[in-house]
Amino acid sequence: MKIYLYTNVFIDLIMLIVLIHFTGGIENPFIFLLTLHVILAGIGLSHKTTYFIATVALLLVGIMVALECTGLIPHINLEGFISPDQYKQTNYIIAILVALAVLLYSGAYLTTAISGELRKRQRQVVTLTQQILAEKEAELDVSAREIDKLEEEKKRFLSFLGMAAHDLKAPLAAIQGFLWLILTGYTGKITDKQRDMLDRSSRRINDLVNLISDLLDIPRIEAGQLVQEMKEISLGELVKHCADDFSTVAKEKGLDLNVEVPENIRKIKGSDVRLRQVITNLLSNALNYTLWGSVTIRLTETESEQRVEVMDTGIGIPPQELPRLFNDFFRGSNVSVKGTGLGLAISKRIIEAHGGKIWVESPCPETNKGSKFTFTIPSKSR
Amino acid sequence: MTKKAKILVVDDDHDFVDVVKTLLQGESYDVVVAYNGKEGVAKAKAENPDMMLLDIIMPEEDGFLTADEFRKDPVLSKIPIIAVSSFSGGDMGQPFPFEVDEYIMKSTVTKDLVGKVKTHLKRKGL
Repeated sequence: MKIYLYTNVFIDLIMLIVLIHFTGGIENPFIFLLTLHVILAGIGLSHKTTYFIATVALLLVGIMVALECTGLIPHINLEGFISPDQYKQTNYIIAILVALAVLLYSGAYLTTAISGELRKRQRQVVTLTQQILAEKEAELDVSAREIDKLEEEKKRFLSFLGMAAHDLKAPLAAIQGFLWLILTGYTGKITDKQRDMLDRSSRRINDLVNLISDLLDIPRIEAGQLVQEMKEISLGELVKHCADDFSTVAKEKGLDLNVEVPENIRKIKGSDVRLRQVITNLLSNALNYTLWGSVTIRLTETESEQRVEVMDTGIGIPPQELPRLFNDFFRGSNVSVKGTGLGLAISKRIIEAHGGKIWVESPCPETNKGSKFTFTIPSKSR
Repeated sequence: MTKKAKILVVDDDHDFVDVVKTLLQGESYDVVVAYNGKEGVAKAKAENPDMMLLDIIMPEEDGFLTADEFRKDPVLSKIPIIAVSSFSGGDMGQPFPFEVDEYIMKSTVTKDLVGKVKTHLKRKGL
């Protein structure tokens, strides 16, 4: 490649000298065009090569002048432009050669200096870019390792919570079982006082089981367990099943439980278990806090979302308590039914983990009674 | 009832086994007990029960493995399995990761067990 380049440059120089020879030799003012060769070499080639080419150009001109002066090759005069014997005048030759040498070498110097500086900068930019890239790659590696570690920790944490839930509930389930056996008479007769105390113990254990479930649910939802649970589900079927579960309770309380689910509702992506938990919580609250009238659960669908509304004709919620209703451990001032105060707080987390919203209106705008809870799930859930 | 239906209870929690045993015996079922998965498989082969109540979290061989062994065995695979565990759906992260005929949470066992046992036995023609 280098040989090819040098050959090319020399042929080029020789051709130009031949051209100059036939167009007046040293008398031709275009002799200074040789400087352009040096400038081009300075831009593209190394410092050494540039000075070498400048020297070769000067030598070639010197040889041409010498050959012409000695008569070894004929001199072609630029007739009518330069006097015929000027090419033999020593002073003139020296002046032209010196001027040419100065131009060639200063051209070489200037271009090599500028291009040298530019190359240096370019090298610096490349080095800096490589350095930055290497640093960023290292940072990315560290972040990826951190993410892996966090994922691993999250998995361990969720598995720990699962086991904690199991181990806390297992002994309570045994106690509940024994109490139930005693209370239902499997173990013989008990006095009314014993029954009352065992009944209260059983209820307290029930509360404790619910509290354990709720308390362990919060970190699990916040750690993103729901994402693993999500699949294609029918919210319509879910609403109907949950309402079915409450039909006996509603009947016992003399309440109408209305279920409004249109046909052909599209499936959504969500956690069956968790959405069931939300609907159950809303229906259970509505039935608990409604003494007479009705509870209605309605599912509607738009292009972008599905909406579940639970309306009751119950005691409603005092306006000053509405903003705090979804807070952890919040209990309404007008409720007597026992609860952990975490149900709605958990429901909110579940709905938000689905990319939806949940809110309350009291009184229900449609009936001007009780309350209305609404939640939405995007049709294309995350 | 000419012949008492036989139910195998597999659970490492002795207290809970006593609860279930008392409950089922009170309903006139024959109850066979095993305290881990391996013992459960052995008892099932020896006693030929009509149904199995299976806990999930147990030392040595847990409920998942035990259910798997039952499903692979040509004789045992015909025995209906009701999983009984302290796990709720939320604890598992999903409704249930292996195939059983029914799932009951221990907290609701006294309410749900007898009804569900009856349903599955009826399906078997007992």
